[in-house]
Amino acid sequence: MTTERDPRTRIVLSWLREDTHENAERVLLRALDEVDTTPQRRSRWPAWRTNRMNTYAKLIAAAAAVLVVAIGGYQLLPGIAGPGDAPSPSASLIARGTFVTGNAAVELEATREGSSVTGRMTVSQTASDGDYAFTVDLRCARTTEDGLIMIGGYTTEANRLGSVIAPVGSHAAIVLTRGSPGEATIWTQRGGPAYETSDCLAYLSEKLTFEISVHPEGDWMSPIYGIVELGP
Amino acid sequence: MDTELVKRAQHGDREAFGLVAADLATRFLAVSRRILRDLDLAEDATQQALVAIWRDLPQLRDPARFDAWSYRLLVHACYAEGRRSRQWLPNLRILPADEPAASGGVDTVIHRDELETAIRRLSVDHRTVLVLHHYADIPAERVAQILEIPVGTVYSRLHHAMRAMRAALDADERPAAREASR
Repeated sequence: MTTERDPRTRIVLSWLREDTHENAERVLLRALDEVDTTPQRRSRWPAWRTNRMNTYAKLIAAAAAVLVVAIGGYQLLPGIAGPGDAPSPSASLIARGTFVTGNAAVELEATREGSSVTGRMTVSQTASDGDYAFTVDLRCARTTEDGLIMIGGYTTEANRLGSVIAPVGSHAAIVLTRGSPGEATIWTQRGGPAYETSDCLAYLSEKLTFEISVHPEGDWMSPIYGIVELGP
Repeated sequence: MDTELVKRAQHGDREAFGLVAADLATRFLAVSRRILRDLDLAEDATQQALVAIWRDLPQLRDPARFDAWSYRLLVHACYAEGRRSRQWLPNLRILPADEPAASGGVDTVIHRDELETAIRRLSVDHRTVLVLHHYADIPAERVAQILEIPVGTVYSRLHHAMRAMRAALDADERPAAREASR
């Protein structure tokens, strides 16, 4: 079926066929639970499906609209302080803002004092299956040669859905670009062990930089709507 | 797949379907994980596919075609998962947990990062034919039936996908790796 004379082909096929030992028991049980309450479809076009999807889509759209209005209104209120504690006079700003990017609402403040980075980021997002929210304790930052600003840390709080995509103790980060409008992407690490003991900066410079390099250009950044102030 | 079990499941026998699903689950999870490059998305796609098989099984006219038909539902579920994660989390990139590397030859270990980079750059269309043919060992003609595309298109996607993967191992040919991602 396959010519394996080219050594590179052998390497590709060997890698593709590696046994990664997936355990399907959990997904099988979940599927059978759902099957228990799922009728078989014997008529070709059941009317309920279309109606249900439309209603669902409307609910999601309405929730998203409320979120955007709430964020916009918040920004117009005078005298509202930014998130987190006020930075000390000697600290220099890395990034601060309250904005929406993609459909995530973000509150961000990160400062640097010497080699120490401190700050906090809260992310909330309305998704198809509920509201995600999590808070990140920011502890490291770097700027890439391309001018991307990476700020990373560890998730300290998360609601039920938030903990699925950003478990407490795991790495999380935001990547920002300068410009008008600037762009941003939020990165989280789903599942696995807590990472609090691992090197925050190494995560940004190795893991995250690798992930960014493998995503097609233009595929992973979204414009920022709102206010964001970036340090020098 | 045992066509008698399939027929019983078609008529609403949940116990028979349980046996069918148990036979499919591990294989489906392995295939969807290789297409989606994410275990959580693969689990969701596998679950969706198994439930869709149960729901739509009465509409399968020829139980002998169950294997190709069920793979088609799995591929549709993979596409749906890919779209869903983009639609609702367009700006939140969720990385899978770090895992110990699987066993492999020395050459494979050395090139794992390059290969992972290359396969993620492939479109889902290209990844799907690569995985179905080279991992699941499904002949190109059957892959064409599963995906409902001409067999020539399957060969074309295989050719471009493999060329991109090979190019990833050869720094002098890196530009070729971008072709199949378009």
